[in-house]
Amino acid sequence: MMANLVLAAITIKTAVKTQMDYAKSTLGGSVTIQADIESIRENQKDEMEKGGDPKEMFSKMTRPSVSVETANSIAGYSDYVKDYSYEVSASANSYELEVVESSRGGMGGGMPGGMGFPGMTQDEDEDTLDADITISGINAYAYINGVESGSFEIKDGTYFDEDSENSALISYEFAELNSLSVGDSFKIKNIYTEECAKLTVIGIYDTSEGRADANTIYMNTETAAQFLSEDDYNDGNYDVDNVTLYMLDSEKADEFVEKINSDFSELAENNLKIAVDTSEYDSMASSIESVGSFATTILVIVIVAAIIIVTLIVTINVKDRNYEMGVLLSLGATKANIVLQIATELVIVGTLGFALACASGTVLAQKLGDSILQAQIASSTQQSEKNFGRPGAQIGGGKMPSMPGNGSMPNMPDSTEKKSMKPQTQNTDVELDINAKPVDFLLLFVTGYLVIILALILPAVNILRYQPRQILAGKE
Amino acid sequence: MAKREAITKRDNILTIENLRYSYKNASGEQEILKDINAEFHAGKMYAIIGESGSGKTTLLSLLSALDKLQEGDIKYNKKSLRKIGGTEFRLRYVNIVFQSYNLIKYMTARENVQIAIDFDERKASPDKYLRMVGLTEEEGGRLIGKLSGGQQQRVAIARALASNSPIIVADEPTGNLDEETEEKIIELFKSLAHEQDKIVIIVTHSKRVANHADKLMKLRRGELK
Repeated sequence: MMANLVLAAITIKTAVKTQMDYAKSTLGGSVTIQADIESIRENQKDEMEKGGDPKEMFSKMTRPSVSVETANSIAGYSDYVKDYSYEVSASANSYELEVVESSRGGMGGGMPGGMGFPGMTQDEDEDTLDADITISGINAYAYINGVESGSFEIKDGTYFDEDSENSALISYEFAELNSLSVGDSFKIKNIYTEECAKLTVIGIYDTSEGRADANTIYMNTETAAQFLSEDDYNDGNYDVDNVTLYMLDSEKADEFVEKINSDFSELAENNLKIAVDTSEYDSMASSIESVGSFATTILVIVIVAAIIIVTLIVTINVKDRNYEMGVLLSLGATKANIVLQIATELVIVGTLGFALACASGTVLAQKLGDSILQAQIASSTQQSEKNFGRPGAQIGGGKMPSMPGNGSMPNMPDSTEKKSMKPQTQNTDVELDINAKPVDFLLLFVTGYLVIILALILPAVNILRYQPRQILAGKE
Repeated sequence: MAKREAITKRDNILTIENLRYSYKNASGEQEILKDINAEFHAGKMYAIIGESGSGKTTLLSLLSALDKLQEGDIKYNKKSLRKIGGTEFRLRYVNIVFQSYNLIKYMTARENVQIAIDFDERKASPDKYLRMVGLTEEEGGRLIGKLSGGQQQRVAIARALASNSPIIVADEPTGNLDEETEEKIIELFKSLAHEQDKIVIIVTHSKRVANHADKLMKLRRGELK
């Protein structure tokens, strides 16, 4: 049993190391472009020192943003970037349509919070305009908040991609209220230009846990940009929010950040910064590392317990065979012979035990590792939801699927298939492939023999103190 | 490794020189053996008799190197026990036969004898020694607990024979045996001395054993006469 536990712990530790190495090379981290709060504060401080009026400064303050061209250029570093996501947020007027009464937060409830820059709205004028529809443009359906966790689902139709011009995903409630179904067209009005845009319903979504406002219409960024003001549209080089770049290799994330900072000096000029976010890797790693450290604890406890138990067993055994040892000593055996005999017996029994453990320990390791890992993941998820309201959430309103995938959903064969397709996000299940390898067996034997050697010390000291006459005289 | 002494030589001699031994106890130091000098020759059986507490067992322990010398010396063919070393002396020069036989209970008679052969690093059949003491092959395959007291004592003597030691020291070897068996065991010891030229030293209370000895020695108040 001890050997089983030792092998289980060794195997889990090896599996953890393998998984960590694999995760490092495959999972990758992500890089976000976000407001450089420190830089903005520094600027404010400088302005204040020059005698600027704080109220005026605040009114002039604009949210730092990155243009779609810059975002696309950065995303084009294919040696580093596996996938990317960004958003365009706007508002529109329902025109001839009815809007759902604000049962789940109303206007703005589903608005992404920008680049984590609290206190600033997207456009101060929007509130004063007749806007009752929230436009959420996103470059890939998979990155809509809730898709990855399953709380955002398409009830009918399919999802859009970056080529789905003027296609929109509307809520189930909005569709029902306006008797819209997949394939129908409807018009909504740009609140700045008063121009109507005709959109086609590509899919109808439903959400749980109140993740979206029923009056939010999702579409790709190009379609969403139609609802910006002329200034914001900027001849097609509009600003995008929540730019997240998913790395091919998390170990290269720092190198990528350095390269982007060097190639795109305008980011710093616009109070933006590009920062590594390895939360996905860290999240997974912490679960697996916990399993690893638990395995280490088990290993230490089992080894210490094994040394104590084997020491006691050998001591009792030696005491029981005290007379036999006395006889052997009287026949001319040396004390070293006696210790060697005990050690040989232990090694034989130990080797048999270790061999049996090799057969059964792997199964125990798999079960033990799985249960620890699942408990750890459950604990992490609970903690995450407690802290941020949803798994994988990012402080500041940014959106971060816990495992990025191919967000652009290319090469959809037909609409029937599209309906059944899930977002192409990576599997979020963390698994440990716990299979004992030759090195684990070797470690078991080495550890086992070390335990035997350590457990022999005390009985050996006892044997060295033996006086054959006293033993035999006692018997006489 | 040193070869065993030539045991067939009649001139082999075990000498005790100025042997003293004392125990420390609550009442101070108690002298058990007082300046003992003696010679034991190969081919003879010696009987040492004495009252309880006279120091018989202590003398026997020293002769069989189960205890360490304090003062004086024991020499075999002029080689000092101190020089030979206790373990080596027990292994190559002396074998002890105890009153309670001191056999390993979970082994058969044959296996008990085999231990002595293994220690001597020789290739010999234990059955040969068991036959010498009158035990059959079937009896040799029995566990020690399945043998009678006399049979167990014979196994102990067979073990002593198998160890091929030139000196055999026996502590009350017939103490637990009936008269008939005692007689057989005495004959066995005599044959070991007379036919195999071993030095046989028996510590005993038995007058019968004492009468069979080639030389009788009395240990009284720590002095051997």
